[in-house]
Amino acid sequence: MSEEHHITPLKTYLVVATALFFLTAVTVWASYIDLGSFNIVLALLIAGTKAGVVATFFMHLLWDDKKNATIFVGSLMFLSIFIIITLTDTEFRGAVNPEIKDPINKRAALYSTLPLTDDHGYPLDKENNHHEGDKDHH
Amino acid sequence: MGDTNQNYLTHPKGIMSWLLTLDHKRIGLMYLFGGLFFFFVGGLLALGMRAELAAPGNDFVSNDTYNSMYTLHGAIMIFLFIIPAIPGALGNILLPLMLGAKDVAFPRLNLFSFYLYSIGAIFFIYVLLSGGVDTGWTFYTPYSTTSNTNVMSTTMGIFIIGFSSILTGLNFIATVHKMRTPGLTWYKLPLFVWALYGTSLVQITATPVIAITMVLLMLERLLGIGIFDPAMGGDPVLFQHFFWFYSHPAVYIMILPAFGIISEIIPVHSRKKVWGYKFIAYSTLSIAFIGFLVWGHHMFTSGQSVLSQIVFSFITYFVGIPTGVKIFSWMLTMYKGQVSFTPPMLYALSFLFLFTIGGLTGIFLGAVALDIHLHDTYFVVAHFHYVMQGGTIVAFLGGLHHWWPKSFGTMYNQTIANIAAIGVFIAFNGTFFPQFLLGLRGMPRRYATYDPQFVEVHSYSTFWSGILGISIFIGVMNLLWSLRKSNKLDPGTNPWGALTMEWTHTSSPPHPHNFEEEPVLTHGPYDYDKVIVKPTFKK
Repeated sequence: MSEEHHITPLKTYLVVATALFFLTAVTVWASYIDLGSFNIVLALLIAGTKAGVVATFFMHLLWDDKKNATIFVGSLMFLSIFIIITLTDTEFRGAVNPEIKDPINKRAALYSTLPLTDDHGYPLDKENNHHEGDKDHH
Repeated sequence: MGDTNQNYLTHPKGIMSWLLTLDHKRIGLMYLFGGLFFFFVGGLLALGMRAELAAPGNDFVSNDTYNSMYTLHGAIMIFLFIIPAIPGALGNILLPLMLGAKDVAFPRLNLFSFYLYSIGAIFFIYVLLSGGVDTGWTFYTPYSTTSNTNVMSTTMGIFIIGFSSILTGLNFIATVHKMRTPGLTWYKLPLFVWALYGTSLVQITATPVIAITMVLLMLERLLGIGIFDPAMGGDPVLFQHFFWFYSHPAVYIMILPAFGIISEIIPVHSRKKVWGYKFIAYSTLSIAFIGFLVWGHHMFTSGQSVLSQIVFSFITYFVGIPTGVKIFSWMLTMYKGQVSFTPPMLYALSFLFLFTIGGLTGIFLGAVALDIHLHDTYFVVAHFHYVMQGGTIVAFLGGLHHWWPKSFGTMYNQTIANIAAIGVFIAFNGTFFPQFLLGLRGMPRRYATYDPQFVEVHSYSTFWSGILGISIFIGVMNLLWSLRKSNKLDPGTNPWGALTMEWTHTSSPPHPHNFEEEPVLTHGPYDYDKVIVKPTFKK
């Protein structure tokens, strides 16, 4: 821990706040452009930048003991490991065999919002659309 | 001070002095007995399942009861016994002693962790008594969002216990960084401390994710937010990503402390300096890191993309490297040493055999093509029991036997302990090795009944599971029986002639403040080539 507290000039705060408002506007603007799956990547990048700016200036990480910054960067790294590797699944699912997605959608039919299907993906009639039927799937 | 016979077990006295204690050793003992209680409960559930599986058909329990039994067996063993047992019990008792510290860095937080564990345990007892839960310990969606059993209470229990685990990890990291006695540099730390440190890193980075997962599952059940529902833009397989992003590193939360125990037992009982100290220390950290990158190997049949199958399978093989480094280092430590077949050493030797089988079959399962064939069969059941029971629980029993005289100042009957250890080894293999064969022949896990062609192998496994239960019971009862008053050892006793600070610098059982004066380091933890310590055994 640093012994003396750093006093941030008001100007820094105002610049950072302006940057945050600007990035918020960019987020809204970007949501209107269809970039396909890149939309979520862009939104996460902007949000990550904003969080980083808040931690660096508002939360004084820049002037604090460097161990705290290391822990902060480490936690961001773990989060990005989780998101990036998960995206290698969700973004490429069915890329080789499209039918690989079918079981996921078929199981999803356990939810009442989708019609139930049999083992071959054909819809079942409404009378069987009951939770008792669901259990037999397993 | 003054009275050198004063020890933490008897001073201060009274039930409140235990319930409100800030002494890490007492908190460790409370974890120990809590953990052993749930080990007993989980063990009874296991024996109940094996009894049901002795013959095909529903002989004792209904399918629904059986579903509850395997779910609770898994959840109780993992969340209430294996994860907290080694760090919570042995870690709490030993970490400050090994560092020459008076206590952990945050004693009050330590007690709070124990109470969080207890509250989580109450949720589990409620679930146990109120009809159980049938999703399996993995709570996969979509079934867990629609099951009408006690999913909410169980996930709430796990959520709370998770915080106990995070706070213990945080406490241990701060303790290792800040509480070492002067002169105790990182490379002079006992390897058990390195193992606890690696475990703590995983605990504080991974455990928040299981908390998030459990909250998302509860929200999905209560409000139908749709994060796991494709009809609303969600993804049921995403649940498995969330779940295994914690639960695979959790495997290392369970096995790393066991590695630490083995790294302590083998040099002491071989009277030899540990071989490859830095290799063992760094392999702990690299296992902790690689453990974060391989979770998808639990999901090879979930329908995840081919790209991630390949990535996960490839990275999974890397876990074998630091693990192999450890196994070979332990073997080289024993080489040309004076190996004595004491009870802790027998457990450590069992560990080497059983864990190696568990680890190597893990490599089989890490290969996508083979895993698609073996997924959800008894091969997987056998594999993770070899790792979890043959690895972690056997190491825990070994550690318990090794540090029992230190914790309680009493020595158990070593002949009975040896018989129990050998019994555990034989009966464990008798129970679980046949399950590899069952899995290869296609027997799926989580079924209360089966095709009659499997009956010989299943009944063989059931027979040995009974012997296994009896062996563990004898081993633990032998320990508890040693606690009677007439059995007290001399406080200066060092029955194994060990060199780590908890044996050489304080009495058995230790003083309430651990050390009567600040300990001065005179030798490294494994300097058996330089210092000769004779085992002492005075009554």
